[in-house]
Amino acid sequence: MEKREYPRLNETVYWDKLPNGLTLAIVPKKGFSRKTAYFATGMGAVHRRFRMDGKDYEAPMGVAHFLEHKLFDMPERDISGEFAALGASVNAFTSYDMTAYYFSATEHFEKCLQLLLEMVTKPYFTDETVQKEQGIIGQEIDMNLDSPETRIFENLSKAMYEKHPVREPILGTKQTIACITPQVLYDCHRAGYNPQNMLLCVVTDTDPEQVRQLAQTYTACMEQPRVEFESCWQEEMTCPTPVIRDRMEVARPIFQVAFKCEPFHTGAQGVYEEFVGELAAEALFGESSPLYLKLYEEGLIDPSFGGGLDSLQDYVTLNAIGDSDDPFAVRDAILQEGARIAAQGIGEEDFLRMKRSALGSRIRALDQFDSVCFRLCAYYFTGFDYFAFPEIYEQVRSEDVQAFIARVVTPERCSLSLIEPKEDRV
Amino acid sequence: MIQTTQVQEGITLHCCTDTRFKTGCLTVQLVRPITVGEAAMNALLPAVLLRGSARYPDLRSITLRLDDLYGTTVGTQVRKIGDYQTTGLYCGFIDDRYTVEGAGFFSSVIDFLRELMLRPRTEDGAFCREFVESEKKNLLSAIEAQRNDKRIYAADQLMKYMGKADTLGISRMGEPEKVAQITPQALYEHYQRILRESKIELFYVGGCQPETVFRLVKSLFQDVNRCYVNLPAQTPFCDGGKTRNIQQMDVTQAKLQMGFLLDTAADNGDFVPMQVLNNVLGGMTGKLFMNIREKQSLCYDIGSVYQGCKGVLAVSAGMDCADAEKVEQGVLGEIEDCCRGEITPEELESAKQTLYSSLRTVHDSPGGIENYYGTGALSGLSLSIEEYIRRVRETTVEQISDLAKRLQLHSVFILKGVQ
Repeated sequence: MEKREYPRLNETVYWDKLPNGLTLAIVPKKGFSRKTAYFATGMGAVHRRFRMDGKDYEAPMGVAHFLEHKLFDMPERDISGEFAALGASVNAFTSYDMTAYYFSATEHFEKCLQLLLEMVTKPYFTDETVQKEQGIIGQEIDMNLDSPETRIFENLSKAMYEKHPVREPILGTKQTIACITPQVLYDCHRAGYNPQNMLLCVVTDTDPEQVRQLAQTYTACMEQPRVEFESCWQEEMTCPTPVIRDRMEVARPIFQVAFKCEPFHTGAQGVYEEFVGELAAEALFGESSPLYLKLYEEGLIDPSFGGGLDSLQDYVTLNAIGDSDDPFAVRDAILQEGARIAAQGIGEEDFLRMKRSALGSRIRALDQFDSVCFRLCAYYFTGFDYFAFPEIYEQVRSEDVQAFIARVVTPERCSLSLIEPKEDRV
Repeated sequence: MIQTTQVQEGITLHCCTDTRFKTGCLTVQLVRPITVGEAAMNALLPAVLLRGSARYPDLRSITLRLDDLYGTTVGTQVRKIGDYQTTGLYCGFIDDRYTVEGAGFFSSVIDFLRELMLRPRTEDGAFCREFVESEKKNLLSAIEAQRNDKRIYAADQLMKYMGKADTLGISRMGEPEKVAQITPQALYEHYQRILRESKIELFYVGGCQPETVFRLVKSLFQDVNRCYVNLPAQTPFCDGGKTRNIQQMDVTQAKLQMGFLLDTAADNGDFVPMQVLNNVLGGMTGKLFMNIREKQSLCYDIGSVYQGCKGVLAVSAGMDCADAEKVEQGVLGEIEDCCRGEITPEELESAKQTLYSSLRTVHDSPGGIENYYGTGALSGLSLSIEEYIRRVRETTVEQISDLAKRLQLHSVFILKGVQ
């Protein structure tokens, strides 16, 4: 095990790679009751087409999320109940490019970790359980259909991308999940839950060596097929649909405006690019930016406004979301501010202040175990050791942020997604 | 350990010195008896304070200062705790040890808070009209936007109907008509009055020693001419009658809310066993989840919450409109099972373990500590973590089934799609 110290963050991480290829990241935290473990795979909703051991597969939309639900089943056992009996809570989430299973516990940590590893590595699906889940996820899909935030984002993705699978809902639709069978789930599990494509991240005050041994014992059963996921979705840097509208039961219009950006590289270079983009968002419409204040004081945006960067493989957007009575005015103001910064640059003092604030926020987030695990996992899959972020922040130059804004904040790269109130509100 | 000290009459400091965190927090809460007349003003007030002070006259100068303070965040904090409404600010900041200044950084944070709270920007002896009007608009939008999240909307509607004769029915954010009526002058006068008269609760979590925190916060209100007015005690639920309401909206999924009430006033001894019952029924792996979701596949989202101050247990669920009746009957059936004592040792133990775990992790984050003790002290149900855990451990199936028998279905609210 490699013990890596991060003196600037006052943190330590034990890194290790098991013989089967599974990577471990163990973060010791002394003096906390809570212990957390994340077991994550780099397979998310977008990875439904793959080649495994020479054969091509195409799984239905929503399969990664369906699989996430179904891994909680083990024959004749109630996994959630077993965690609960240990005083732990277990949960999972599926994003576009990652699926993670996690628990937090105060006691019986080893037993919980063992359960988590067993649950994820030992799939068990039957026609009956799959059918039951179709009902439950059907309700989750309906719930999402009533969620303005989900709808606005899904519409936006369709407006900006022509082929990238971010266009598809993570949950799939009732029709696509109806096509899911136990065999589909077994195939996807075999492909995505390959130890070389996974990370076990643990925050605990227990002995790291013990964690390693448990991981080794309980992941020994994992198969290592040869898998290639379809993974090239590069697109033109223009948006096919500049404005996309929808109506829902909302109080005021909600908008999300986004600019298409070049995909990031992997590793430290990609993180540098991400921080450039993040600081560009701050400079453009962050809470201390001149534009934010102007729009807020003019009443065009309110405290619901916020923005930043979204990224996954072959997909990066600079975007902002909020409620406004005049979303077009907000979009135009952002474009105008982008042009101004592109021409005039960012003052050195302002730039240092922004960097200081962004760095402070990231350091403060390290107090949350979930945030630590989530970021260690997400960055691991992009090939970066997250705790090295302070060094990268230091290198970011204001000229790069200016150039990013000049390149990205243009009308051709912009889409506006709108949810407007129903006209005949009941 | 939380050290509680009186700063002045009616002003209390709760200080939790803890060096494990990189972040500290300080909250300042003015505690008011919640009334329809005052709720809107209390909800609006902190947003106006965050718009400008004498030294930092606009948003830009405030946010620049926050950035200089290593991305310190200041936010409005308006809570409803039983019969009380609290209004004030929440401040989160990096610990002294991670700053260039080192020790002494926290005093800059206090100076900034004092500036925001006690030297607001005024014109003609009132708050700035521009600030008040724009924050009124934002508050009205936020009140309206509650309907965007259908689960929260349905839960609020249930409370409104069920609590029509009680403070339970009063919204923390105020009524839109009341917001619209607020003038800069009236709000300013209200603020001056509540600064003088209110109970004020200060809560600190971070690396500074209690003496240092006490010395620094003491200066916060020293120039206020205090005239403390005693805060009335919490009161039991006042019943205005049962209701059943169905509302239509253009939604895909229907939402069911069922409000249950303990037949006799909830006393302090009921609080912990009721939390156990709440978890047996509507916890993460409770009866509702296991039976109505996992066995019958009727819902994705189903659970319950218990409001100790008022003895109200609310069940919420989202389902296909055609299944609403089935889910409602299902919930009643699960409660009947509890009445009959049909609770397996595993169900009881899971519920207890979930509670132990959430109680043990209270001390793992500054926000967790502030929330638990800050709201506990006001709710009248203040228990140390150890005492809470002890009472959970002692809770028996008999106690739970006795409590379940005392639960009466009071009101139901259903949000349905348009057919």
